Amino acid sequence: MMIKLAKIMRFPLILVTFFLLYFPIIIIAILSVNESQSAHAFSGFSLKWYSEIITNTSLRTAIINTFTVAIISTAISTIVGTTVAIGIHAGSKKESTKILMLSNIPIINPDIVTGLSLMIVFSFVRLRFGFPTMLIAHIFFSVPFVILSVLPKLRSLDKDLYYGAVDLGCTPIQAVFKVIIPAIKAGIITGALIAFTMSIDDFVISYFTTGSGFSNFSIWLYARLGRRTFSPAAYAYNTLIIMVTFVTILTMNIKSYKKREE
Amino acid sequence: MGYLGKLSKPYKWAMYLLVGVPIIIMIMLAFTRTLGVDFTGAEFTLDNVTRLNEQVYRQAIRNSLVLSSIATIICFIIGYPVAYMITGLKDKYKWLVLVMVISPMWSNMLLRIIAWEQLFKPNSLLNAIGVSLDLLGTRTAIVIGMVSIYLPFMIFPIFTVLDKMDKSLIEASIDLGASQIQVFTKVIFPLSLSGVASGVMMTFLPSATAFALPERLGGGRILLIGNVIENLFKRVYNYNLGSLLSIVVIVIIFGAMRIINRQEGGLII
Repeated sequence: MMIKLAKIMRFPLILVTFFLLYFPIIIIAILSVNESQSAHAFSGFSLKWYSEIITNTSLRTAIINTFTVAIISTAISTIVGTTVAIGIHAGSKKESTKILMLSNIPIINPDIVTGLSLMIVFSFVRLRFGFPTMLIAHIFFSVPFVILSVLPKLRSLDKDLYYGAVDLGCTPIQAVFKVIIPAIKAGIITGALIAFTMSIDDFVISYFTTGSGFSNFSIWLYARLGRRTFSPAAYAYNTLIIMVTFVTILTMNIKSYKKREE
Repeated sequence: MGYLGKLSKPYKWAMYLLVGVPIIIMIMLAFTRTLGVDFTGAEFTLDNVTRLNEQVYRQAIRNSLVLSSIATIICFIIGYPVAYMITGLKDKYKWLVLVMVISPMWSNMLLRIIAWEQLFKPNSLLNAIGVSLDLLGTRTAIVIGMVSIYLPFMIFPIFTVLDKMDKSLIEASIDLGASQIQVFTKVIFPLSLSGVASGVMMTFLPSATAFALPERLGGGRILLIGNVIENLFKRVYNYNLGSLLSIVVIVIIFGAMRIINRQEGGLII
């Protein structure tokens, strides 16, 4: 009986899932080609909002800021995260549990708690809010994800490889660069990708740690919700991002599928 | 490799500074009256604690707990069977469906909230197909928004655990005479509990503390704890009461983690 019910319910549940996940995205795509500025009705097809991504100065600046912060914070947090992961792996068990517990905190904490904590520290030490504070915040929440993706690769690595390299005349630093890093490359790339995605999408933490007019896309959007300065170019930008994501994922899938076929 | 062990030391101190110090400052702020984080001339007071008892704040805490619990339960009811079904697919389709479940997260969260907001208005694109919703400002709207945004966070951890599960255990239980239902209730489900636990954490915590979502979909009528905290810090600059409420949130988080960890017997993630 229950098995039958489960089998019957399977299809509707998948449908509900895809509906809930994709309906908003489809609506955004429709609104991105809607001629009218209002979202009440579809008044005709137009691509003008796509060109406004470039002509709207404040939006363009916000998008450039988003990518600047994402690229710099990804680069720094990948390096820091990998270094720390190597340190954790090499250190004592007690020390590594302590650091891992600390580094899990930003992952478990809801964004608002992380954002507020950073805001309070920054204002306590009287930092000027803006690009640097937002950058520090992004590095802060990205590093733990890099550590989490690099550490399993390190753990499955044969420790003798490192000692072998040192015995054959490498300095510890050379051993890290010539032996360890190439072996954990996949983990580093995964970590960097997660860091980049988190940074591009972040709203709450950026909102609490920015200032003096420095906005990323989400903050730009939030400030304009329900106001006249809101531009449907935001829908267009988001639709472009989604299309790029899908094309990337599809080509990656097809490539790996072809590899398997061979 | 002792030499390399030193590499993680600076990070440890940076984390103590960025995680520990703000909590200490928040506790100090919660029991004083100050201007921002300037402690000159601050005096000890319990005013904030008494204000916590005001209707607005009690209601906001209750709304957060109730609405995000409902959303988490719905996510579980939809997410568990879906995750289970994905594990049963052939490898080729498995990754495709999984990617399809995760990729909406690349779309900006605020914009997805706005999309729902536009649809929940009586005048919307849906009029074209003869539907007019008037959900803006209701609890239903908030719950639908939460489920739509946090569902992948429920599906993914459950899928990971189910997919890694040792299939020979299932075969063994069938060989030993368990019915299909028993295989599920006595073997599969108990073994997937760690995934359920992290799924619950990953949907409950962000949905209970969201502020943009209830602000847009609640139409300003329904406040969650996130809205109150955001308002106190960013608009009325009452860092003292804001800090106290943040401490309440942190306590709720640790409470939830302790309940889940006790049943699990280990830290998840």
